[in-house]
Formats: sequence, C-alpha cells, structure tokens
Amino acid sequence: MSEQKLQSQTVQTTGHAWDGDLQEYNNPLPVWWVYTFYATFIFAIVYWTIYPSWPFGKGWIGGLSDITYVNSAGETKTHSWNTRALYLEDMNKAAVEQKPYFDKVTSMSYEQISRDPEVTAFILSSGKALFADNCAACHQSGGQGVVGFFPNLTDDDWLYGGSYEKIHQTLMDGRRGYMPSFSEVLSGGQIDQLANYVASLSGLEHDAAEAKAGDVLFHNETAACYYCHGVDAKGRKEIGAPNLTDGIWLWAGVAAAPSGEGKVAAIRTVIAGGLSKGVMPAWAGRLSPEQIKVLTVYVHDLGGGV
Amino acid sequence: MAVTTYSGAEQYNFDIVKKFAVMSLVWAVIGMFVGVYIASELAWPFLNFDSPYFSFGRFRPVHTTSVIFGFGGSALFATSYYVVQRTCQTRLISDGMASFTFWGWMAIIVLADISYVLGYTQSREYAEMEWPIDILIEVVWVTYLILFVGTIMRRKQPHIYVANWFYLAFILATALLHTFNNLAMPVDLFSMKSYSLFAGTQDAMTQWWYGHNAVGFFLTAAFLGMMYYFVPKQAGRPIYSYRLSIVHFWALGFMYMWVGAHHLHWTALPDWTSSLAAAFSILLLMPSWGGMINGIMTLSGAWDKLRTDPIMRFMIVALSFYGMSTFEGPMMSLKEVNALSHYTDWTVGHVHSGALGWVAMISFGSLYHMIPKLWDTKMYSQKLIEWHFWLATIGIVLYIVAMWISGITQGLMWRSFDEFGNLQYSFAESVAAMMPFYAMRAIGGMFFFTGAVLMLFNSLMTIRQSKLENAVLEAKLAAKLARA
Repeated sequence: MSEQKLQSQTVQTTGHAWDGDLQEYNNPLPVWWVYTFYATFIFAIVYWTIYPSWPFGKGWIGGLSDITYVNSAGETKTHSWNTRALYLEDMNKAAVEQKPYFDKVTSMSYEQISRDPEVTAFILSSGKALFADNCAACHQSGGQGVVGFFPNLTDDDWLYGGSYEKIHQTLMDGRRGYMPSFSEVLSGGQIDQLANYVASLSGLEHDAAEAKAGDVLFHNETAACYYCHGVDAKGRKEIGAPNLTDGIWLWAGVAAAPSGEGKVAAIRTVIAGGLSKGVMPAWAGRLSPEQIKVLTVYVHDLGGGV
Repeated sequence: MAVTTYSGAEQYNFDIVKKFAVMSLVWAVIGMFVGVYIASELAWPFLNFDSPYFSFGRFRPVHTTSVIFGFGGSALFATSYYVVQRTCQTRLISDGMASFTFWGWMAIIVLADISYVLGYTQSREYAEMEWPIDILIEVVWVTYLILFVGTIMRRKQPHIYVANWFYLAFILATALLHTFNNLAMPVDLFSMKSYSLFAGTQDAMTQWWYGHNAVGFFLTAAFLGMMYYFVPKQAGRPIYSYRLSIVHFWALGFMYMWVGAHHLHWTALPDWTSSLAAAFSILLLMPSWGGMINGIMTLSGAWDKLRTDPIMRFMIVALSFYGMSTFEGPMMSLKEVNALSHYTDWTVGHVHSGALGWVAMISFGSLYHMIPKLWDTKMYSQKLIEWHFWLATIGIVLYIVAMWISGITQGLMWRSFDEFGNLQYSFAESVAAMMPFYAMRAIGGMFFFTGAVLMLFNSLMTIRQSKLENAVLEAKLAAKLARA
C-alpha cells in the first residue's frame, strides 16, 4: 500500500487529461507479465511441435507425437497425431477388453450363456448401455413400454413370442403390426356388438346381448376376427395378433378409461380405426450380430422371457 | 471525485445516453427472466407446457439476444456515447443519427425475439436473426460507426482516450463479423428463410470465427472500453499504465482473430486448424490479463473505498471474474482439457462466469456511476445497490459452481468404461445425474435476476427523484423571480 503510494508519486503521468481528471500513469509493463507472455510463446511453439499445426503446401506440418492403432482391416498402423487415429486407438483399447466376452457370446448357446455368471454379468453391463442408447427411446428406460405406443418388455405377454429365438428375430428383422379398419365393412351397431364381445373375453363390464351378437360376428365371415386372433381369441404369435382374453391392452386405452362404458368405447376405437403404427425397426446392419445377441439375452432377462 | 459535471444539454447529447441506459436495464430484466425460465425448464421440464412457443429451443435465443444485444448492447451504446463525448469534449455529430441507432437497435431486438418464438432462426449461435433483421443490423451498425468515428474526428482533445480505442475496435470488428457470418441467400424475397453461403466445415468455421470474436470484441474489448473510463473515474485515480494499455490492446486485437476454431475441437475440423487455435488461445492469456492488471492496479490505491462504495465493489468483482474466465478459457481450449469439457455444462458455466461476472457486473458498476450524473442527482437508494451487489455475487457463485460440478460429472460419465470395456453409463443416466445442479443453477439465476430488478427499480426511482428535485428548484426560482 505504502509502496503503491510511493510509486504513484514517483511515476509520471503521460501529461494528458481528459474529461477533467482522467489521466494515465506511464508505469512500465509489469515484469512478470512480460515474462509470462514470453512463456506462452514457448508453450505455443512446443504445442505446435507436438500436434499437427501450420498448413504447408497442400497439407500441413504433422506433429512429433504419433499414435499406433489397428485399422478396420486389422493392420497395425502408426501415424502422426490426429483425431481419427486417436479415436481408433481408444476404440481398440475397449475392443481388446470386450473381445474375449463377445467371443464367448458368439460361440455359446443361449442355454449355456444363462448358466455362465461371468458372461451374464458382461451382458448386463454392455446390454444396459446398448438398450439405453437404442431401445429406451421407445420402450422406456426400464423396458416398461408406453400404453398405446410401445409394448412392455418386462411382462410375459409377447406379441411375437418371448423365446430367445423369437426375440432375436424381432431384433434382426423388425416387426410391423397391422390391423385393418372395420368402419367401412361393418355397421356402427355391429362394431358396438364386437366391442362388447371383446370386453366380455377378459371379464370387463359389457352388455350381454350385444356381446352375444358380437360373438357370432367374431366367428363368422362378416367380421372374421378369428382369422388373426384365433377361434379362442388367444391370438396368433406367428403373425403378431394379440391375445384378447388376458386383460393386457397395448393399443386400446382400456386401463385409462374410468367407466365400463369408456372401456368398451376404447376397444371400439381400435376396431373401427384399425392400426398401422406398430412398427419395430430392424436392427440387423445397424448393430453388430454380437450386439444383437447381447440385446436378445438382455431383453429376455428383463423378466418376461420364456 | 473531482467536480466534472457538465450539465448542459447544449454541450453534450445526453438524451440518447439516457434512453439507452434505461433500455439497457429493461432488457436486462427481460433477458434474465427468460434465462431463469429456460434454466427452470431444464430442471422442471413441465414448464415446456408441451407447446413449441414455450420450448427451450425457441426461448434460448430470446434469452441470449435480449441479454447480449439488448442489455449488453444498449449498455455499450449508452456508455460509448457518454464516454466519447466527454473525453473528446464534443457533442455527437448528429442527433438524428444517434436517435436512429436507438430506435433501430430496439426494433432489432424486438423483431429478433418475436421471430425466434415464431420459429425463425439461422441456427447460428448468437447470430440467429434471419436475413431481413441482419440487413437492419448492418444499417444501424454502419450508422453507429460513422457517428462514433465522426465524433472522434471532431474532438477538442489532441489525444484519443484509451477507452475510445477499445470502443472503436469493437464497432469495427463487429461490423466485419456480422457481415461475413451472415452472408446468406434468401429462399425468396418474401420468405424469412435463407441458406448460408458456406457449407459444412467452412460454414462451422465461419460461424465460430464470428462466435468467438463476438465474445472477443463485443463482450471483451467493448467492456474493457467501459472499464477504462469508469474504473479510474470511480476510483478517482489515473490509469495504472498507459504502456500496458497500448501493448495489450494490440495484442488482444491480433490474437483473438485466430482462436475461434477452439470451439470446434473434436469435430470434422482439420486437426492442424484446431491445434493452431489452441496455441493462440494460450497466447491470448496475457493480453487479456493486461486489461485486468490495469484495472486492478488502478483501483489498488483506493482499497479503502471498497468498504464504503458498492460501485467499486461491482468493478473489482467484475475484474476478478474477467481474470478468472480469461484464464479458464485458454485452459479449456487445450485439446486434452477440451476432450473432457466439450459439450458439457462446463462450457455453459464458463460463458456465464464471463457474462454475469464480467460483462454484467462492469455494466452495473458503470451504469450506477453514470445514471446519477445523467440526471444530476444521487442514486435513490444506496442500500438497494448493496443488496444488488450481494444478490448478484451470490447468484454468480451458485451458477458457476453448479455448472462446474455438473459439467465435469457429465464429462467423466460419458467417458468412463467398466471392467468389461463397456461404456459404464448411458446418456440418459448422465441427464438424470444433472437434476440437482440444474435446480441449483436456476436458483443462482433467480438471485442474479432479482438483483437486476432491484437495479431497474432503483434507477427509475432515481429518475423520478431527479424530476421532483427539478420541480422544487424551478418553483423556488419562480418564487424568487416573483418577489423580485
């Protein structure tokens, strides 16, 4: 403080004054500031020597540091520092750790995998990120699905089958759920009758007389629902037609409807409008075969696999 | 403080300074409110109300435009017109042109904000305005340049004061940046939509050449101009070193232009471009600190005033945050540090330590100095200034600490592998981990916003008080005249 005051008494101002009292001392540059500024130049030169830096001709000056990596053809290459090589080097490191496990996943049968705790632990770990990054956007983070949009993967109700093989097929090729609209084929009254019949199948509140008429429509050639849903209405997994007797509703907003009448109306909406939004994309080509196998086991083990 | 008040509408055009000063505070309140709102949306997403008009994507540019160009821009117009007139001892060359810059600038901010909410954007950060608004900016800005240069040329002082160099560098550089970054072809004359003249990596490079120099010349050089006038004025002491001001002015101007590419580390940008920018960012450290040293050393003979003068406190805190964020910036631009910080909230925290800590605090300090002088009275309440200071300071600290923790957490979560070589966390898990810090950030923002509201209130009351005082004075004069 006193030093400051001394300094300001000894150092001259530039002799100019603006706006009354605005003046400037002519203090020299602080020495530490100057030397640190020089040091940053040395740092910059060193940095430019390590990393690729200045453009030169049609290329650029490569840095002194280099990176060794394995390319997609499996050859080991060394190149001056660049982000592409660094990425491959990082991915190589992870791939080397993953490889013995992926080899096991590929070579073992589902049966063997389920009895091997180490491979199961690996599948839980890699399946978690694979599921979260690729599946959770639709099926939700825990696989619980969204009523009206995406099936629940944690229960044992499967549209296309819950065996390892069926889940694998679903993942590889995708699925396309479809139900035609009946609004032009049937009269409004007939659709009411069918809706009451379908409600009766899972013990929901319904009009018995209407349901009886619906039963007939369901099983004759007028509506011919039995083609897809089966004579017993328990669905046909080979074409993804759902079981109508188990009280699980993916498409119709039955659970959300407060009254018995509302529930029948929700079923009616699906019969009248049909469905074309049940699309599961195909993952073959987007994920590697071993990643799809990992996901198969992961989804199977979410709780509902059969 | 020496007596330097020239109260004369004849000598200087203070009317334009007053208009910009008041609107600066109005935009601060609007822009910071929107900032707090979108910060809250991140913490409590129901605030989106499932409506595109309320979504983060549309409100975010409303926030940045209102605070940077509305609040910051108006504060710069106000102070630059004030400083250039007082240090050149001359009136602005044209009242009409000055008035045009005011109404033009206000129209720009209003039109930009409305167009964002309606979904129009160039998708260029800090340059989201579509082409018709860009053309209006161009016209207003060239008017500003002519007005400023013309006034300097008509000065009654032999030397140009240092603050004016910085203001001029800011006006010139912004004109250049704005022009080249917004070269675009409209879809047709009656469409708001346009396409950039550049493509791919070149487009990104142009955008970040603009983006970083907007930080460099709009948010740094210009506010250093503010600092160079208001800090010595408030401290009542000369600037510490004229030599340092020259050296760091030219070094800053030269280095800044090279560093924009550090925003594009780890992208498709060629590696050499990115290391070139990283090293220049380190070279920029000392030139940036030159301004901080000059400011702090100027204040250093007047430490005792810190105890009594909250305006000085705004200034010293501003300079400290300026020093801190200009150190943090070069560190984050090193490739290896950037590998951790890029795409995380750390970047958001860094920007706000500069924007709240430096830009807003130096503006608050300068406006608190200037407003009573413009209206020839005292600030309505000294106590409210104290409150504002503490609310703002606590707000910044909460904000930055939250973003440091959440940013580093994100960076670490995204890159962590487990014992099998698998990614340990999914992206959604890192989002869930941010929740408490997003809430903390929103609360920090609320503190800062509340401070700005107090300042607007305090300033409006000051203006009212000045009018009352004048009325009393005139009544007395009239009474005297009547008696005589």
